[in-house]
Amino acid sequence: MRLSRIAAIALRILRQFRHDPRTVALIMIVPLVVMALIGYLIGDPGKEPLPVAVVNLDAGADMPSGHVSLGAAIAAALDRNGQLAVEPSASAQAATERVRSGAVAGAVVLPADLTQEVLGGAPVSIDVVVMGTNPGLQGPVIGAMQEAIANLAKTAGAAAAGFKAPPLSIRPVPLEGGVGLSPLDYDAPILLTFFAFFLTFLLTSVSFLRERSSGTLERLMASPASRLEVLLGYLLGFIGFAMAQALLILGYATWVLDVRIAGSIWLVLLVIAILLIGVVNLGIALSFYARNELQVVQFIPLVLIPQVFLGGLIWPVQTMWPPLRWLSQLFPLTHSTVALRAVMVGGEGFGDIAGRLLALLAFSVAMVAIGVVALRKQRA
Amino acid sequence: MSQAMNGAAIEATGLVRAFGRVRALDGLDLTVRAGEILGLVGPNGAGKTTFIRSVAGLLRPTAGHLTVLGEAPGRRVAVHIGYMTQSAALYEDLPVRDNLMFFAQLFGLPRDEARSRTAAALVVVELTGKERVPIRHLSGGMRQLTNLACAMVHGPKLLLLDEPTVGIDPVLRLKLWDHFRELNEGGTTILVTTHVMDEAERCHRVALIAAGRMIAVGAPQELLRAAGVGTIEEAYLVLRERHANGGTP
Repeated sequence: MRLSRIAAIALRILRQFRHDPRTVALIMIVPLVVMALIGYLIGDPGKEPLPVAVVNLDAGADMPSGHVSLGAAIAAALDRNGQLAVEPSASAQAATERVRSGAVAGAVVLPADLTQEVLGGAPVSIDVVVMGTNPGLQGPVIGAMQEAIANLAKTAGAAAAGFKAPPLSIRPVPLEGGVGLSPLDYDAPILLTFFAFFLTFLLTSVSFLRERSSGTLERLMASPASRLEVLLGYLLGFIGFAMAQALLILGYATWVLDVRIAGSIWLVLLVIAILLIGVVNLGIALSFYARNELQVVQFIPLVLIPQVFLGGLIWPVQTMWPPLRWLSQLFPLTHSTVALRAVMVGGEGFGDIAGRLLALLAFSVAMVAIGVVALRKQRA
Repeated sequence: MSQAMNGAAIEATGLVRAFGRVRALDGLDLTVRAGEILGLVGPNGAGKTTFIRSVAGLLRPTAGHLTVLGEAPGRRVAVHIGYMTQSAALYEDLPVRDNLMFFAQLFGLPRDEARSRTAAALVVVELTGKERVPIRHLSGGMRQLTNLACAMVHGPKLLLLDEPTVGIDPVLRLKLWDHFRELNEGGTTILVTTHVMDEAERCHRVALIAAGRMIAVGAPQELLRAAGVGTIEEAYLVLRERHANGGTP
């Protein structure tokens, strides 16, 4: 054993890093970016409140001590909750529409006879209208309501003797999907879109890199095949493969894990297909900036981490700082996640997710253009 | 040279190709006659590969004029060109036959014809029996034979060979040259780059280039006579010197 030999090897490795600034940058920067994102997304400060519609129809009741309105008290409690941004709404119908359009995470409907009934000792349930497809959206709303009611019992009990815990309960009203679904039901669409994206990106970029480094791309380009033909061939091959994978995941989720797929399976496959057109071309374009497989692997965190953290896969997009929210609209996974959840959990149809499909299509068209430009570099 | 030699397969006049500030081709004049084997000889960096890639339509000339089989290089004429790259450009995971089938179909051959041409090409390069072997299990020599088979499977009129015998043992090199001659006798024009000088002597004509320009072109014997030396290697040095001093090639 000679120390000088060991040192020579260690020094060589360090020297090699010096000649590969990209790897060094990635090793240093990626953890910082990830920690910053997670810190921001998990920690409360800086997070935007979730918009909630509150419909207070409660007429209240006249007590010896004066006019009492539990509805107003609950609305005020919600208003004080820093996690929510309350917007008053005139009718249950209008509020429901706001939920359906995605403008608010939920709608709390306080009935007209709320105070009367409670004072009379009758149990009352308060409707909380939610979409039912995203636990990240409905969870905080229902949680805030539970908190508001619990606090009401405390303050009211202290204020008026004989007024014990009011027999109030919350009735979640999912427009689609449900609130009692298993986490897997909500997460299956995320897993599906994530795997489709990740594996297709990896396979395409590595195989295109090989095509380039082995010289076969040179051969393709010297053949009568046009750039578009090459791209379309790649698309067809990889999408065929990726669709088979998607079917496998879907089949396993449905029959083995008993995951709910409320909508059309064809619509699910359409969402994935449109997403993958973009991903295949993204892989091709980025492979031109990589010299070897290791460098392709280095692109993975760059491409995936922002999408996973900001795309609504883990934390709802609605609570993010507005510039991040706008940024997330550029990510394909943001749209495919919402679309797949809407179809699989909510059973929505083509018309309901058309906007998301359009966004995915725009991404794909942009990526095809970038792919063609990238190939042009090969034949100049 | 069984074919008529009057037509030009490749015609380059004043061809320039620049990469940034480097002029890989610097006003090259060169005619490859239909039916001949022309050897493009020069040291590394002389512009041999740049010229071949321009002919294959992979590089657009910066200036000058280039026609290939009577047309501008590009996709239209690519059908009639076979391009054997310097290192074997093959799909490692695929068997020999699948590689050939792929390139045959890429050049527009219908499936049946691609199949028969593949079988025929394998006979030519003596790889029958290896059809099902994946490329990654082949020796370097067999790879190069497969590489040649892929370049000629569609029956091109013009074959571009970019240093086809680099890293090949002498026995296989002779064999490859037998194949080139056989293909040429079947009517294929061949442009071959090399810096192995004894290979140059196997060509009908040899073009000596340096720094992207033509030094001299002619039959090997003519060049030897003109330089008054015994080997192409010496002839290259003599003629380059003469060219640099402003003498006529």
